[in-house]
Amino acid sequence: MLVAQDVHRHFEGMHAVDGVSLDVPRGQITGLIGPNGAGKSTFMAVVAGTLPASAGRIFFEGADITRLPAYRRARLGLVRTFQLPSEFARLTVLENLLVAAPHNRGDSLFGALMGRRYWREDEERLVTEARGLLKRFGMSAKESDYAGLMSGGQKRLIEIMRALMLHPRCLLLDEPMSGVHPRVVEQIRYYLQSLRAEGLTILMVEHELHLVEQLCDSVFVMAQGKLIGSGTMAGLRRQREIVDAYLVG
Amino acid sequence: MNTYYAANLLIYAGVDIIAVLALNLQFGVSGIVNFSFIVFQAAGAYAAAVLSMPPHTAADYSFQVYIGGYQLPFPIPWIGGALAGALLAIPVGLVVLRKLRSDYQAIALLVTSIIANTVINNARPFLNGAAGLALVPQPLQDQVDTNTDSYLYLYIALTAVCVGLVWFVAARIVNSPYGRTLRAMREHELAATALGKNPVALKMTMFIVGGAIAGLSGAILVGFLTVWAPSTWLYPETIILFAALIVGGRGNNLGAILGALLVPVGFEEVTRLMIRLNIGPPNLIPALEWVVIGLFILGFLWFRPEGVRPEQRHVFEGSPHPEIEDRVVAA
Amino acid sequence: MSIFAAAFGFGLVSMSVIALAAVGFTMQFGITNMINLAYGQVMISSAYVAYYVNRAGVTIWIGMIAGAAFGAVFSFLLNRLIYAPFQRKGTSHLGMVIVSLAVSLMIANLLLPIVGYFSVSYQEHAGSLVRLGDIVLTNNQIAIIALSVVVMLGIHALLRYTRLGKAMRATAANPTLARNCGIPTQRVIDMVWLITGALCGLAGVVAALNSDSFVIASGAGFLVTALAAAVLGGAGQPYGAMIGAVIIGLVTELSAAAWSPEYKEVVAFGILVLVMVLRPQGLLAKRGALAAAG
Repeated sequence: MLVAQDVHRHFEGMHAVDGVSLDVPRGQITGLIGPNGAGKSTFMAVVAGTLPASAGRIFFEGADITRLPAYRRARLGLVRTFQLPSEFARLTVLENLLVAAPHNRGDSLFGALMGRRYWREDEERLVTEARGLLKRFGMSAKESDYAGLMSGGQKRLIEIMRALMLHPRCLLLDEPMSGVHPRVVEQIRYYLQSLRAEGLTILMVEHELHLVEQLCDSVFVMAQGKLIGSGTMAGLRRQREIVDAYLVG
Repeated sequence: MNTYYAANLLIYAGVDIIAVLALNLQFGVSGIVNFSFIVFQAAGAYAAAVLSMPPHTAADYSFQVYIGGYQLPFPIPWIGGALAGALLAIPVGLVVLRKLRSDYQAIALLVTSIIANTVINNARPFLNGAAGLALVPQPLQDQVDTNTDSYLYLYIALTAVCVGLVWFVAARIVNSPYGRTLRAMREHELAATALGKNPVALKMTMFIVGGAIAGLSGAILVGFLTVWAPSTWLYPETIILFAALIVGGRGNNLGAILGALLVPVGFEEVTRLMIRLNIGPPNLIPALEWVVIGLFILGFLWFRPEGVRPEQRHVFEGSPHPEIEDRVVAA
Repeated sequence: MSIFAAAFGFGLVSMSVIALAAVGFTMQFGITNMINLAYGQVMISSAYVAYYVNRAGVTIWIGMIAGAAFGAVFSFLLNRLIYAPFQRKGTSHLGMVIVSLAVSLMIANLLLPIVGYFSVSYQEHAGSLVRLGDIVLTNNQIAIIALSVVVMLGIHALLRYTRLGKAMRATAANPTLARNCGIPTQRVIDMVWLITGALCGLAGVVAALNSDSFVIASGAGFLVTALAAAVLGGAGQPYGAMIGAVIIGLVTELSAAAWSPEYKEVVAFGILVLVMVLRPQGLLAKRGALAAAG
């Protein structure tokens, strides 16, 4: 569903991503692992469109999206989250989710000027949907709290819920468990598994290898900007070079 | 209190409220640091002037040199002023609103303001250079004698209508899903992009809308003052408007209005009072005013950056009471 | 052709003046991450200090030292008392820009009642004319060029060969890392403000000397030109600022010969805009100043 073809990204003489080609299969959770500085986050940013590719192509559902800006890719259903907390701090938790929703008649200058009556129906529909998500992820009580005051784990959940409001077809998660309390890690793992059961495709950068083992159907390994292996975790553990890369890198 | 004094106060208040509401849309809500704001007000004033003035070759006007001179009746000059502000926003926005760190954007706009003033100052045939424009016709001056109190009331009413109109537009924008998207972009532009929002389109739109409103405020002011020169719109004028937002509270219209009343209007009045009561040497007072404004900005940025009336939390119907009462403070 | 040769000569003087200002400005940004919009006002204040010294009968070349000393102390205090506290408080980049703007307004308006509104100039005979081919310069102007060259060499020596210079470069590249390596970043920053403040003061006096007359309002023009050269060369890059100064000095003088001298600042601004559109990171790129949003 998501294909990267010989993607390069260099910046100021450094090859952060050096010819990576991979294929993310539909309806599965695919992991992207590797030592620090391997270029995983840069690769994710290029796939999401936040950074332009220096060379190579990216296809999503068969369409070439290499030249599309990030916001267009999001509208096509390819949505990313960030490694560092990126909530809208001075908006409430509910507002954070509402911002993400794409089909709101009030979300344009024209719609705004037309007044509440014009967009009230859309808004109410989306509030209901957002509250449903909040309930599912156990954050209903925090609806009217400022997102900026939430804990690290709560902010992660907000990001995931926000992405879900877009009805994405493929989620790009950049270290979703980093800096999160172990109990919340369990929660997130549970949610990701149920999302996969509902048919969502996920590409996930993650450091905790045991989590990768539990969650990911298959895994790609990067080191120093290049792809050095792929397959299941068990299979990879048997390959010397992979193990070496982790010990050295 | 004579009528002229009251009219002066009310009209300036109206113009300042309109200007700060526009700046709030750009800066408070959308996070665009438009340090060249005053240029847009000036554009509106100049446009309204040259649209309403007769050609400069005409009898009483030949001491000035300027473009235009179409002698158009009210309300065309005011509409023209708004249009001028909007049109100017397009090239300025396209050049500046790109992938620059926000403080660099701010500087580019500040420098634009300084240079625009220099250019207009020196280019005499364009808008009469440093001397500026004078004898600008006043709206409806053929219908009502401008030397009467009735005319002043009329002008106050016209200003009030404009204030109402601008407030209406600003309120509709701020309290809508669109306003929410703008605020999200202000909070974390990259995350907003990842959610499908187009930041360049959003910023350009607010730049143009704000520019149009700024232009309107200029048109209103020049119709009342009947004169307009580069010395009226030096770059520190923008700073006063920013101070108004910082003091009053940005991100919300009420805070903007409060700021407009406290800072530009408040300071004008205090200055006038000090001159009348002979407090302090008169030539020092304008300079002192600026020092106090500077102190106000620093003081509020240090002690209460969110302003007197901060942005309010939006709580939806049927929502549980917020668990954490604290507010997230803008830096 | 000879007007252009003469303009080239003026360009040499111009770039010397601009280089002094731009290098100081860009070093302040590069090492302390502060876009000091009050820079132009500090320049003008120092110019006035030199003016009063000059009026007391002292030659302007000594007055320059007074101006530089004043600039150093003033800038140091500005940072210690205002900028650093706000930065420590966590004020955003944008907030700091507003702070420096407020400060610049306050300086200008605190000075106005003291120095008055009328323009002043230094009492210094320009000296005899020197001819180099079609280029005609006064002794003073040659002295300014020489002074600037000496100072630039001094800055180069400071950054390359001294421990302080190395500490400055380390702090500019990565302050946390520098601190962890044992560099006393607080002291380095203090020294940066003293040195760049001195540059600022010196630049102010030299710029004022190079103009027919000056007034408080000249500060804005000084700032724009220094800013343009600094951005052109790459924000935070001292050598870039020197290159930027060369380009801006030459181009503004040549255009003044071709069109009109009143628009020198406008030309500088035009260059600034062009740079921001075509190559926002400047000639010698450095990450940080103009990184993509976020």
